[in-house]
Amino acid sequence: MKTVYLVSLFLALATLAPSQDNPATTSTMRQEMESVARVGSVMVDGDVCQRIVTPLAKEYMFKVDPHDQWLAGDNYDVDDVSFNITKKTLIRLSHLASFPSDVNLWMPIDGHPGKIQMVIRNKNEMSQFWRWGDLYQDMVPQMETVLKTGQRVTVMDRPGWISVLAPVYNSLGDVVGVIEAVSRAKIDAHENVK
Amino acid sequence: MRRFHWQIFLLLLLLLPGYCRAAASLEALPEFLRPDPFGGIVTPDQGGARLRSSLYDARHRVVLKGWRDGYVSFQLVVNSPAPAAYSLEVSLADPAHKIQTDLFREWSHFADADKHYYPDALVPVHGPYSSRLPEPDNKIAQQTAQAFWVDVYVPPEAQPGIVSGKARLKCGASTIAVPLQLTVLNRAIPAEDVVTIDHNSYGSSFLAEQYGSAYHRYSGNWFESDQFFRLIHAYHRIYYEHRGIMHQLGYGHAGKVSTEFVPVLWGTGRARHIVDWTLFDRHYGPLLDGTAFASSRRGPRPIPFVYLPINPEWPASYEFWGEPGYEAEFVNVLSEMQRHFREKGWTHTDFEVFFNHKKRYMGFPWDGDEVRFPKDLNYFLEYGRLMKKALPQDSPVHFVMRADVSWDMEQQFKVLKGVVTLWCSSGGILSFYRDAPQALRDRGDVVWYYGGPPTVTENAAAITERPLRAWLWGVNGYVHWLTIAPGDDPWFHFDGGGTVLVYSGERFGLTEPIPSIRLKIQRNCLQDIAVLDSFKNQQPLDSLRSEAAHRFNNSTLDDWWNPRPPLADIPSDQWQGSSIDAAMEHTNKSLAHPGVSAWYNVHEYALQLAGGTK
Repeated sequence: MKTVYLVSLFLALATLAPSQDNPATTSTMRQEMESVARVGSVMVDGDVCQRIVTPLAKEYMFKVDPHDQWLAGDNYDVDDVSFNITKKTLIRLSHLASFPSDVNLWMPIDGHPGKIQMVIRNKNEMSQFWRWGDLYQDMVPQMETVLKTGQRVTVMDRPGWISVLAPVYNSLGDVVGVIEAVSRAKIDAHENVK
Repeated sequence: MRRFHWQIFLLLLLLLPGYCRAAASLEALPEFLRPDPFGGIVTPDQGGARLRSSLYDARHRVVLKGWRDGYVSFQLVVNSPAPAAYSLEVSLADPAHKIQTDLFREWSHFADADKHYYPDALVPVHGPYSSRLPEPDNKIAQQTAQAFWVDVYVPPEAQPGIVSGKARLKCGASTIAVPLQLTVLNRAIPAEDVVTIDHNSYGSSFLAEQYGSAYHRYSGNWFESDQFFRLIHAYHRIYYEHRGIMHQLGYGHAGKVSTEFVPVLWGTGRARHIVDWTLFDRHYGPLLDGTAFASSRRGPRPIPFVYLPINPEWPASYEFWGEPGYEAEFVNVLSEMQRHFREKGWTHTDFEVFFNHKKRYMGFPWDGDEVRFPKDLNYFLEYGRLMKKALPQDSPVHFVMRADVSWDMEQQFKVLKGVVTLWCSSGGILSFYRDAPQALRDRGDVVWYYGGPPTVTENAAAITERPLRAWLWGVNGYVHWLTIAPGDDPWFHFDGGGTVLVYSGERFGLTEPIPSIRLKIQRNCLQDIAVLDSFKNQQPLDSLRSEAAHRFNNSTLDDWWNPRPPLADIPSDQWQGSSIDAAMEHTNKSLAHPGVSAWYNVHEYALQLAGGTK
């Protein structure tokens, strides 16, 4: 039943979206990304998201060893079932747009209020915020707003880019993560292929 | 009046820098003594001072010996204590005109770390080469010496015997000639290397960065231009000419593929199929049929290995992972690839299904590269199943699954037996498992180990340790993990070159990459290893290896392995990086800092075996 609902919703939204033949104007992109983010807030399961990063990974994420510069990264691990469930949902959300887009998952880190981490990226490898290779980074103010208020925030700081940040809720009603629905006017086919 | 003329003459001498006022000199140096731009030897190579006269005989001739089908290298240094114009020429009087001489100007890189100059990039020049000191484009104040690398190519058809020649420096009115004598030895260097040396790279954006003028001048999509594909082929060619191979990975850690690495797909689920091979074929066709190397001295030959773009997100969408749709997409497209390669006759290359992603880059929930957590191996097993389903057993096209392994390699060797057949292993951790290479090779697997190039601040012989280790260990090859990244400003603010062995030639008006001293030394080392190994029919391979190790750094074969550490018997996800370092203490101590003359000594051993010592 849930699947039928999802498919219907996606089809409805896809019908609303401009066709691929139309130029992806900024306003069109904005409209579509906002739709994707809004649907994403409904569809992404925050409880599942909270199970993705393993306790081991969390334990080591902030550890520093002068004799082992890769300590945190080498201990980074995820629960692949939760990861895959969520990633598949994010991929399907990105199909709602009529142009290449990604939907990424960001999550705050327990005990480290000023930090946030990218948890799932997708195949176009786009993000306005991710510092390539970092396990975590300083909290992005716009993401902090989403986490605190549950409001969606649209960010167009980088020319030609648009990200719509939207809350991810768990079953308690808490905002436990942020999805970044992101695209850019000009796709760089070679960026981040490294 | 006479006095007046004399003063004018003196003034002209001072004002005309093109005139060679002070005594210039020309010195020949062996490959392992890298000159600095002030007439000295770079600090890391000074320990090899005894080699300084090694090229000269009693009559002060430069004496060279070379096997057929290979290279002999040396350096020439033009010294002038005062600014001067000069020209340099090297010639060999080969009556058959078979032997060729390649001249390169050595670029002196200023290394930010220690504020010293190191020669490395080699700019091809034609003799007679005319320039001046200080070299205008290298911009070194007080430069008094300009070094040149000389490659003498002795083709397979060269006649054994002695060929004379000379290096001639003209500086002002004076001419200095250094006589050369090349002895062409009867033996030919085996065309096949016993160790494969791979030069790895990621993506193509480095080409746009390093060939910025070409990229920006091009009006269309440069990444689909003939110029772009010619450049990729030129990179493969320069490594091939130096007895190496190249890998270029075409996808990112979350599965993004660049268009030149993939055929175009259409459809989803069972309808997914390939609709366009154009870019893929333009990229890979000349590499896979060998025509990209038609103009090379080694002749056309298909590349022996190539990465496929296959990753968890291509050709099947990860949206369907674990579902019938994923299997349909993966199997259909891989089957189509097999058919296309077969139709093209691309049957001399191992097509690698290789997973480079790491979960720390947030694309996928398992490590393809350097698995640490054993649960991740299930994904490899599943891909092995899909490959079996897609590929006919009797296909002449060779698909292999490759795994780059470190922490968990011992388990992977067991669990992935028959699934993974190309192993690229951490050199440090493989050193714990002395029996592994032979055991893997006995079952038909290929074993490489990986590391990185030494920086220019290490001694010139340092790069020879990698191929030598591969040969001593009995593995099939060695991978430099990155050799095309010169840093932001390699010319005037060099980061040391730990990720580069070839440079962009664009700065010098060239449309292709240029080699480095380290690449040349590595090639010459590979020639020697091929020769050494060719004597295994006459004496035990281990005795050849033992003697080579002894000559290299006075080591024994045991010194190249570490004892199996206690941590090898605990699960790899409980290892710590620092404990791995501790477990490598033995090799770190016994193999640290080979001398400058380390490879010179091994080369002499090879010459001795071939009956060509002085």
